[in-house]
Amino acid sequence: MAAKDDALRRIQELLGPGAITADPDFRAGVSHSVACPKESLVAVMEIFNECGFYLESLTGLDFQDTLELVYHMNAYEPRARTAVRVLCPHDGEVPSVTGVFASALWQEREAWEFFGVRFSGHPDLRRLLLPEDADFYPLRKDFGTVHAYRKREEVYG
Amino acid sequence: MAEHFPQPVQQQLYSLNLGPQHPSTHGVLRVLLTLDGEYILEADPIIGYGHRGHEKMGENRTYLQFMPNASRMDYLSGLIYNHGFCLAVEKLAGIEPPERAKYIRVVCAELNRISSHLLWFGTFLMDLGAFTPFLYCFDDRENILDILDRVSGSRLTYSYCRFGGVARDVDDVFIEQTRAFIKRLRSRWPDYHNLVTKNVIFIHRVRDVGIIDKDLARRFGVTGPNLRAAGVAFDMRKVEPYEVYDRFDFEVPTGSKGDALDRYRVRLEEMEQSCRIIEQALDQMPGGPYRQERVRLKVKPPRGEVYFAFESARGQTAYYLVSDGSPYPYRVHVRVPSFGNLHCLTEVLKETLVADAIAILGSIDIVVPEIDR
Repeated sequence: MAAKDDALRRIQELLGPGAITADPDFRAGVSHSVACPKESLVAVMEIFNECGFYLESLTGLDFQDTLELVYHMNAYEPRARTAVRVLCPHDGEVPSVTGVFASALWQEREAWEFFGVRFSGHPDLRRLLLPEDADFYPLRKDFGTVHAYRKREEVYG
Repeated sequence: MAEHFPQPVQQQLYSLNLGPQHPSTHGVLRVLLTLDGEYILEADPIIGYGHRGHEKMGENRTYLQFMPNASRMDYLSGLIYNHGFCLAVEKLAGIEPPERAKYIRVVCAELNRISSHLLWFGTFLMDLGAFTPFLYCFDDRENILDILDRVSGSRLTYSYCRFGGVARDVDDVFIEQTRAFIKRLRSRWPDYHNLVTKNVIFIHRVRDVGIIDKDLARRFGVTGPNLRAAGVAFDMRKVEPYEVYDRFDFEVPTGSKGDALDRYRVRLEEMEQSCRIIEQALDQMPGGPYRQERVRLKVKPPRGEVYFAFESARGQTAYYLVSDGSPYPYRVHVRVPSFGNLHCLTEVLKETLVADAIAILGSIDIVVPEIDR
């Protein structure tokens, strides 16, 4: 349990007490959620790296009012999974975490081509799964047939 | 005089496309290699040839309609993907399947894990130039496909699980066949070991080749047998037990160095552990209903999200589902193990020989359509 507690204590010192939400029952499959402002993302990831976490999954969510990036961090111990959530406007930029986790090199390429989030400082932002000449962002809700396009509070409110 | 003689050859770098049709690439994968002689300086896997947009498809169909998609990502362990998706939706919607269904699912998922590992065994050795083991393991694998075909109706892309149970009950014939298969597989281990594990040519090809140590695995998010071969006993079935895995006595095999030989040993040992799980599950299997009757076909989970992680044959897999309260998921994301496992090759293949690259690629056990999604 050491890695998770250590990481959360240091993140709380960095971001303040309101940033972390606990889910003790593990109902959504994560033990804690961290609401992280873009500016602190790299610092938070460095804390996770020093505590022995790995970047398990990086994906986006498209809402009418904002894009949201969700980084799922995990350590090699039970119920350590922590979600780091970053809000970003549709034409916005998020700092790249490739300097901390090598696995972000591909995961950020994927998030960029599917959601159109630019990662500033990424060394090699090429398309990964889509054709080289793709000029669309397929997982945005204004692309193709989707059932609903909602505001963020309609889902998480 | 000098112009009559060819200039001394400069050191030249050479680009080679490994794939996309090379038979050892398991799906359609292209690796762009930069070579200096026979040594690899840089390897850049180029993927996406099999991208079908499963995550987008998830946004305009109901939860149940996504079930066949789940088994088409990793087509070699489709039932495990199905099982995981089913558990994720059940967790989101608060559905509790009956006990018998849980045991049936575990037996089928573990059978699928063995069939996936057997296929890896055959193709890996075929990559190394050994054709005979392929015939042995496909012979054994065929038994599993027959057993699963009988209960689920398909040989590869099973859509057997349902929210709140399974599609069809299993009968005594299934249980007999499964027990007979395990007995047969155990009698085959000596053949496997005599033919391959003790083979000196094989050992020389894989020992100390393609080392993935703990640190490299963590930086690239490598999971599954590849991580366990590096000595980290991290298996979702043990760490975050789902379904009824906490009721069984089984071990998580680990290696020490993380080379191709360790990965080979870990996978062989895992098949034996799966056999143990299946035996215990068959012994403990209760009677009763195999499916909860009251679950609607159009499941409507409450607003919220779930991140459900499970262990597929290739490593830690997870479904991230976001629900807006309608019968259609707002977002379906799949965390696939082969993604990280393949990505780490950019580092592992550096400064190895091309011939070793084939051995490493085979030992990592990737399924490309799972990465492309």
